Amino acid sequence: MPELLQINKLSAGYGPLRVLHEIDLSVKEGERIGLVGLNGHGKTTLFRAITHMTGWQQGSIKLDGEEIGGSRSLGAGRRTAELVKKGIGVAPQGDAIFPGLSVRKHLECGAHTKSAWRNRRERIEEIFEVFPPLRNLQHSLVGKLSGGERRMVSVGRMLMSEARLYLIDEPSLGLAPKISQRVMEALWALPVSGAMIIAEQNISLLTGRADRILGMHAGRMRGDIGHVELN
Amino acid sequence: MDLGLVIYALNLASIYALMAIWISILWSSVGMINMAHGATFATSGYAAWLISAALKPVIAATFGKGAIASAMMAGAVLGSAIVAGALCGAVIYALAFLPIHDKPNYSVRSLIITLALNIGVVQGLLWYFGPRNRGLPKVFGFGRWELWDTKIRYDQAGTILGAGLVMMLTLAWLRYSRRGLEVRAMMQNAEGAAYSGISRQATALPVLMLTGALAGVAAALLSQTIFVSPTAGVIPLVKGLTIALLGGLGSVAGAVAGAVLIGFLEAIVGAIPFLGQRYVMFATFSFIILVLIFRPRGIGGLLDNTRE
Repeated sequence: MPELLQINKLSAGYGPLRVLHEIDLSVKEGERIGLVGLNGHGKTTLFRAITHMTGWQQGSIKLDGEEIGGSRSLGAGRRTAELVKKGIGVAPQGDAIFPGLSVRKHLECGAHTKSAWRNRRERIEEIFEVFPPLRNLQHSLVGKLSGGERRMVSVGRMLMSEARLYLIDEPSLGLAPKISQRVMEALWALPVSGAMIIAEQNISLLTGRADRILGMHAGRMRGDIGHVELN
Repeated sequence: MDLGLVIYALNLASIYALMAIWISILWSSVGMINMAHGATFATSGYAAWLISAALKPVIAATFGKGAIASAMMAGAVLGSAIVAGALCGAVIYALAFLPIHDKPNYSVRSLIITLALNIGVVQGLLWYFGPRNRGLPKVFGFGRWELWDTKIRYDQAGTILGAGLVMMLTLAWLRYSRRGLEVRAMMQNAEGAAYSGISRQATALPVLMLTGALAGVAAALLSQTIFVSPTAGVIPLVKGLTIALLGGLGSVAGAVAGAVLIGFLEAIVGAIPFLGQRYVMFATFSFIILVLIFRPRGIGGLLDNTRE
């Protein structure tokens, strides 16, 4: 399998704060990776660095062989939309929803590529297959939904694009165990052709399902920590 | 309250709403308080004046003096004001947005740059055209209707209907077009918009050009009652900004409500014998300050309860 994402010596942070320390990571086409680490150890910052949302960064990030990294000290978010269009789908922490748009409009927002926009009706139907509760809520404002429903909308919006690399940040955060279990089941069952990285604190939600589980500690990768048996 | 007063109030409200809506949208989507709005207003007025003066003999020679000639003239005035306004918007994009939009303190910097642009353009117009007022051709013709013993001038009726139509069109554009959806998404969550492939650089240009075009429409409509002059944009800018604040920056419904409230307040204060026109500004600002003391987020917080 060819490498889809290749990260070399990536450091990133905000102002004087260095969060990531020379990270190396490679992700193959079709891989589903779990990224485990405690709060504040750099999982979110790694995702933000891949989409140029950190304050500064340096190091190489290659998406399908194309360099999308490099050094910069300013311009957080300037290239994010462009990188997303290259095929990176993101479901960020805190969902970043549009509270005044309906569920349907929300999903349409995610269909940013030409062909996704053309086929948006069919794609929305596919999202409803993955997250059935959204079908009845399609005309409700997202600002009035519960936490679990918002998470489904956020992941649904990410799936609307035709991304090759999906970055999903703590899908279980703030959800009741039963609901987070259901969201994770839906995520693992997704018909995704590209690669997927799921950052998660709760290793039990990843174990047995991810192809690899990587540890992250104090801004450094800990390598494959393997599947942990939990009773 | 007699009907004449209502018409006068609606006339003011429609012009204010045209200005305030886009100041509000511009702030919440592009993150910019556009002080150069006043310069756009004045420039569009002058463009309409120049183009209509240049086209007058041509139209008179081709179409004579009939209804077609008046319609052509109206088209020339409105069209040139809209085009000039949109071009001003593009210039503001190039000077006050592109170079600084990802630098720290962008909002304050763009405020200062657009304020400087505003002063520069107003001085430039003053230097080139002089302080004399210029009258635009009457887009809606001369005359008045009688309605229940009240006389309604054509330009008043035209301004209210025209502004209403333009506002409906822009709101429909925001609601139903794909670009409008992107603008609304950006207004509500910039990070989520970026993750949906909506770039601020790409969206800011049409938003700024539309803002400028609407300032152009407002200029052409307001110049039916007042004159074109280099400082003609100052009062609409100040009114537009304060009404946008009153309505709650970022709330379209709030801006419209604020414009209607202020329009009626001004008309009523102006009509009360012992107060009159000289107390209009005093009453307006007192009202806005009072509202903001009790509702710091403006009245928009009431109407738009889904914003965070």
